[in-house]
Amino acid sequence: MSTVMKTTRDVKGIGLSIPRPDAPDKVTGQVQYVADLNPKGLLHAKLLRSPHAHAKIVRIDVSRARALPGVRAVLTAADIPQLKKKAPTRAHAVLAIDRVVFAGQPIAAVAADEVAIAEEALDLIDVQYEVLPVAADPLESMKPGAPPVAELGTEADTSEALAHGSVAGVTTEAKPAKAVNISQQARLQRGDVAKAFAESDVVIENTYRVPMVHQGYMEPHAVLAQWESSGNLTLWASTQGSFNTRSEVADVLELPENRIKVIPMECGGGFGGKIRALCEPITAVLARATNRPVRYVMTRREELEAGMPAPQVIIKMKTGVKRDGTLMALEAEAILESGAFSGAVLAVAGVFLASLYLWPNFDVKGFEVLTHKPSIAAYRAPVAPQTIFAIDSQMEQIARKLGVDSVEYRLRYLQREGDKMANNQPWLSNGGAEVLARLAEHPHWKKRAEWKASSPKGKLRGTGISLGGWLGGLQPTGATVRLNPDGSLQVLTGQVDIAGTNIALAQIAATAYGVDIDKVKITTGDTDVAPMTGLSAGSKTTYTVGVAVMQAAENARNQTLEIAAKELEASVHDLEIEDGKVVVRGVPDKGVTLASIGKKGNLYMSKVEPVLGTSHPAFSVQAPAFCAQLARIEVDPDTGEVTLHDFVVAQDVGKAINPLQIEGQMQGGAVQSLGMALTEALLYDDKAKLTNPSLLDYRKLTSADLPKIETIIVEKPAPHGPFGARGVGEPPIVPAPAAIANAIEDATGVRLTHLPLSPERIALAIAAKS
Amino acid sequence: MPKQVLSCTVNDEAAEVLVQPWDTLLDALRERMGLTGPKEGCGTGDCGACTIHFDGKPVASCLLLAMQARGHVVRTIEGLGKPGALHPVQEAFVKHGVPQCGFCIPGVVMAAAALLNENPHPTEEEIRYGIAGNLCRCTGYTKMLAAITEAAGAGAGRRS
Amino acid sequence: MRRFELVLPESLDDCVKALARHGSEAKLLAGGTDLLPQMKNALLKPAVVIDLSGVSRLRAIESGNGQGLKVGAAVTARTLELDRSVRSRFLSLAESGALVGSVQVRNLATLGGNLCNAAPSADMAPPLLALDAEAVITGPKGERRVPIAAFFTGVRHTVLAPDEILVELAMPAPGAHSGGNYLRHTPRRELDIAVVGVASQLTLANGVCTKARIALAAVAPVPLRATAAEQALEGQAVTPERIARAADLAVEAARPISDQRGSADFRRHLVRVLTRRTLTTALARASAS
Repeated sequence: MSTVMKTTRDVKGIGLSIPRPDAPDKVTGQVQYVADLNPKGLLHAKLLRSPHAHAKIVRIDVSRARALPGVRAVLTAADIPQLKKKAPTRAHAVLAIDRVVFAGQPIAAVAADEVAIAEEALDLIDVQYEVLPVAADPLESMKPGAPPVAELGTEADTSEALAHGSVAGVTTEAKPAKAVNISQQARLQRGDVAKAFAESDVVIENTYRVPMVHQGYMEPHAVLAQWESSGNLTLWASTQGSFNTRSEVADVLELPENRIKVIPMECGGGFGGKIRALCEPITAVLARATNRPVRYVMTRREELEAGMPAPQVIIKMKTGVKRDGTLMALEAEAILESGAFSGAVLAVAGVFLASLYLWPNFDVKGFEVLTHKPSIAAYRAPVAPQTIFAIDSQMEQIARKLGVDSVEYRLRYLQREGDKMANNQPWLSNGGAEVLARLAEHPHWKKRAEWKASSPKGKLRGTGISLGGWLGGLQPTGATVRLNPDGSLQVLTGQVDIAGTNIALAQIAATAYGVDIDKVKITTGDTDVAPMTGLSAGSKTTYTVGVAVMQAAENARNQTLEIAAKELEASVHDLEIEDGKVVVRGVPDKGVTLASIGKKGNLYMSKVEPVLGTSHPAFSVQAPAFCAQLARIEVDPDTGEVTLHDFVVAQDVGKAINPLQIEGQMQGGAVQSLGMALTEALLYDDKAKLTNPSLLDYRKLTSADLPKIETIIVEKPAPHGPFGARGVGEPPIVPAPAAIANAIEDATGVRLTHLPLSPERIALAIAAKS
Repeated sequence: MPKQVLSCTVNDEAAEVLVQPWDTLLDALRERMGLTGPKEGCGTGDCGACTIHFDGKPVASCLLLAMQARGHVVRTIEGLGKPGALHPVQEAFVKHGVPQCGFCIPGVVMAAAALLNENPHPTEEEIRYGIAGNLCRCTGYTKMLAAITEAAGAGAGRRS
Repeated sequence: MRRFELVLPESLDDCVKALARHGSEAKLLAGGTDLLPQMKNALLKPAVVIDLSGVSRLRAIESGNGQGLKVGAAVTARTLELDRSVRSRFLSLAESGALVGSVQVRNLATLGGNLCNAAPSADMAPPLLALDAEAVITGPKGERRVPIAAFFTGVRHTVLAPDEILVELAMPAPGAHSGGNYLRHTPRRELDIAVVGVASQLTLANGVCTKARIALAAVAPVPLRATAAEQALEGQAVTPERIARAADLAVEAARPISDQRGSADFRRHLVRVLTRRTLTTALARASAS
């Protein structure tokens, strides 16, 4: 750790803006990702993927492919006895059996000496398809008689919801007869909605649509698999959770978990898309079939056509309020298009829609609908941006209609700690009101009328604000902290660091133990050596692993003090750690160095126990985290082009362990949110084939499209977080779609309800209005 | 089809390496020369992760065949600076806490270094456009702009 | 990418010979920014690739004393963007070069590649149409010249025979008091493809438009000129009303489709907006020159 900034002696680690220790290796290209590994004897894998979204596989002939020199294995489902026809998850559907259910689904796998040879082998595989009718649109697919997606009797997959913080109290309903593609259904109700609408003065009804979007991590999925002769499998993976990867691969391939070692390589972005296993099982099978190391790296086109994007979300929403603003009733139907396999976080959608503002009467129905498209997965705060887009757009419209300040209106009905969520659980401590109030003090919000009035000729200026958040995730975890013979600390977890969490964990360890941050080294271990650790997902790494590291460091500190107490013949309670020494409080020259304690723990014939702090906590209390965002924009009404002039993010982080890393999270999350708002969509034709399978046409925002993102860190301590910290990853991706839609209405008078808020939608809506 | 001999200059040293006709320059650098700093994010020139300097200019190395580099001068991130002797752009990226997942970073650093060579004192707008060919999904670009501005102020553009 | 044989000619003659030998089996490789993605996505699987990077003649820019311009087919978009002779008299061409892809792509992408790929959205085609350029083509039977307006024959199709190669683009100097401009619409500011592109060139004499050129991209199978719109301006003083009229006529010339980049309605809408804007800019430039 070469770059360390120290501030005061009493702050050991917490609160310092420290660059990641791996930054020098990252800026010089030295950090190793899976695709950078090139072991001796390496083979390259390629998958033959279905060109059809729904088809029967009548016949597959791989004989010509197998005969191509340089090809080492060609496999179909028939070669993998563990595969089942009723695959419960995408990971289990390693290769299609008899029927393909989305365009891009793997049918056969090749391992060859070179990528070019493997690709040529794909061309030599003869597949005869019988093309079947396609369910391409979720609204059609949920009707009786739609072409079926799943095999009859396949169970819904709710593990994603569990991974992202479970939501208790949502009733799951039996699905209507013959609607074969409705895979999950939920309903939340309170009060008398019909009566409340009848008593409402202002009723607003809209349908919001957010298309499937891709997580957009820059590193495509990649894995390297190698077997030892003893039957142990090693996977070098790009994953958000090595233990989860191990479990899924073990389950699919029917292997004992301790036969599999997952080595988490540097993960080039995940954002939820690298939680579930995808290409790991097939790569492992190819490695076993060839008895060689096999590397599979997905192309970007494969990522877009056959990755695991976020669901399309369609929300029909009707709200009723009194003339004085009193919230009366909310009615909503949320349809989550899950693609070919179940896995959407349906309950989260329902809770967000009806809980953020305090509707006394509501009826929220949720449907997960299967279609013949690639199955979905989590994407940073799964379904929160989509549902907040609907509810916040609605709140803004109500406030405009009532002629009241929209921030004050939101604050009047916004949940506070203790209020009852739609699932009847209490809202936990959170800074929702604080971040919105703080952002409303920003000059850009106070001067929004001046901004609008300053529009140059032919342009329209506006300002929009929005509030969103995340309930917080939980998962058991573990950590160890060791004292080294030189007095330095060694922290070990299994946590994959994709967001800069390792430096934050090191800071926590430093403060909790009582050394400076430059004495701490933190390692992410593989699944053979690290304590069992959860996913890097759901804004829970700092919140949960931070607690484990804090407790392990405290545990190590206590052990250290006990050893020192014996040596110094003092009470543990009179000791403190200062400057690398355990000293008796008030007697600074009476002490023993950490190095000597560490040394004795590793000395031949020593009777001193080595210091090994451990913690392996489970958790039950979430820490909701909120974020408010403000956009100042200028619209070209003729072309529909939106220029972002300013964008401000205010977020409650509980306690900023490392403000530099937190700013990075807030800025990056905001830009993903803006991409969803303005340009991003996976576009499918009526045969459910992707029409924009490249990063040219799947438009992530570039630096030329964006202003500098201003960040405001708000600290409302989380009662159970380490030093009060909350998770920071999810909240910033939530508010921008509504903030931009609100700004567009402010500028142009046009209300848009379908994402992305593209130039085409904006220009044509303005043209239609004038 | 026999392999072909590619002769070029890579990171200031003469290189002779056997490549396949269909190897892209990115393939050759990564798989045949062990220079894995440049990354393949898309393979079609739409993300900038594979950016290198080709005769001093930033190019997408995934869009060149390896043999098109014959006789040319190639610089990868490995030839820009090393830990301990960082290029000012790299130095500023570390200081400003730019890298998160890090996958796009070698490409952005190469694009920024090329920009400063051509234009030692760019405006913020010029920096924005100078790295607009580099997609980053983690950072939102804000800290990159600050870091490149600082590197320009430190005279990064006067270095070769 | 599938395997192929790579031919590395060092002269135009060698290119022509290689093409004659391999014909339709072969693909010419210039900047690679269109060809390699198509090969990687298995949309093209040529048995032979002929690399043009060794042929220096294709990279020449000549602005002769007649002040016309000859641009080699392998001149990059980045060169067009920055070259002084191009910027001084053929600004719309430089503007189109500056809009292609990103700087990493512009340093590779070539004028000839942009044209021979023959995408309806090719950015460099409208300026060349507006500048009355000619394509200089060579093959086993010698050289021929084709007006750029006749160069494109359909989506991804040109007049080039399998054994022919585009050598350069030649265009006359716009007269005095002439100005041009290229505008396009894209959802992103960089790294994007034209939803609609419009180029124009106006030449004035004594306050009257003596020559008007308006060319459109991404609104028909091939880039095309809006001749009725041009005629509505020629012989007239160019007023905002006449510009608006020309923009309406340009919309009539467009035959757009709906695709993932934009609906036909939006494209027609954009043709009107961009034609108006590009003519306004071209007029200002012509008046100032």
